[in-house]
Amino acid sequence: MAMRQTPLTCSGHTRPVVDLAFSGITPYGYFLISACKDGKPMLRQGDTGDWIGTFLGHKGAVWGATLNKEATKAATAAADFTAKVWDAVTGDEVLTLAHKHIVKSVNFTQDSNFLLTGGNDKVLRIYDLNKPEAEPLEIAGHTSAIKKALWCNNDQQILSAADDKTIRLWDKNTKESVKTLSFEATVSSMEYIPDGEILVITYGRTIAFYNAHSLDLIKTVDAPASIHSASLHPDKDFFVAGGDDFKLYKYDYTTKEEMESYKGHFGPVHCVRFSPDGELYASGSEDGTLRLWQTAVGKTYGLWKCVLPEELSSENSEALYCPPAEIKA
Amino acid sequence: MKTPVSVLRLPRGPDPNSRGFDPNSPRFIALCPTTLSSSSSGRADEEEQRLRSDLRERFLRTLLSMTDKQVEFNMHEKVRVRARFGASDIDVLNFQVSDLETPLGVQREALLRSQDVISCSFEL
Repeated sequence: MAMRQTPLTCSGHTRPVVDLAFSGITPYGYFLISACKDGKPMLRQGDTGDWIGTFLGHKGAVWGATLNKEATKAATAAADFTAKVWDAVTGDEVLTLAHKHIVKSVNFTQDSNFLLTGGNDKVLRIYDLNKPEAEPLEIAGHTSAIKKALWCNNDQQILSAADDKTIRLWDKNTKESVKTLSFEATVSSMEYIPDGEILVITYGRTIAFYNAHSLDLIKTVDAPASIHSASLHPDKDFFVAGGDDFKLYKYDYTTKEEMESYKGHFGPVHCVRFSPDGELYASGSEDGTLRLWQTAVGKTYGLWKCVLPEELSSENSEALYCPPAEIKA
Repeated sequence: MKTPVSVLRLPRGPDPNSRGFDPNSPRFIALCPTTLSSSSSGRADEEEQRLRSDLRERFLRTLLSMTDKQVEFNMHEKVRVRARFGASDIDVLNFQVSDLETPLGVQREALLRSQDVISCSFEL
């Protein structure tokens, strides 16, 4: 019996949501951080979308946000020319790292000891979080603003995507560029999947999959509209993508076929990511909301409850909230 | 027509009065040291902490003494307004004021966003 997807809307932001990231799975579940142009990144419980806290301190739009694996630390990149590190349990600001221009991307190493930053000054920086007063290691080479920078290959290498339409792979020790990929259009997003060493890139209407070591192309898929972000399911059976036409698309990774598309957002989708357990994916939009979508529609998980038709009219149904039939949701 | 998936409730939104990070949540209690003495900080840290406490207390007492007084707020974009100060919220995100004098007239009750305030002055 097919069911219709009910996305869960997380409100609270007052401006477009431009980035989001999940933590790993911790003894307290997993968490989600959202970066917003209102300057106030928020932490939420990953499986329910419940708000936990807001990181207060940035004086400008927050362009990038990330959590470490254990969800004990958060990092944010903002238009106020700083990257900040936060205690993700207390919400306190731990470190402010001054930059010379807008910071766009932040990423922790697996052991949370180093933070990688990248932004409009075109330089990648590596901060030792145990020696925050020390000067960061700098890697220069990009000829325009860096959009996204990620650790890869066991934190020995760095992948960076910039407005110069290239993605570069760097060795963190030699600080040299190992390989460069050039594109016809600016890369809109990048996701690195350590298990399987896959790189997911989006540009124009294309979602492309590369081997993260060799940067060899695995496959590309074209969507009906310009795509801003895509994410591959941990089991690598599907991927989701969203962009200019406000919809979320779900594709079969093996066959490249479009399986489903979902309307819901009232603005372009800027970011989309699968949760670490693959049971849901979150999308952030120009409309200022985050939405959580089920991977297996109808399954009982988080706030979604699988209800058999008979239960809907029984006494037990009081606790359930049935979304009203929406006008072409 | 497909039946929409049911949900138990909607995700909880932000609390308008605080920045969150509930200190009574299981995660907070488990991961945060509950006593100051559990950290191995030296004498210098204790002195710094004492100074911080003093400054914080002075700030809070200043807010207290501002209550019901006429205060002039210096804000961004060269905005200067006067109002009777009521109170601040716990995270000093908003100031509750009365009889706020604006170019559009006197606003009986208003909330000022504290991040918009550069400075304020009042007579003791």
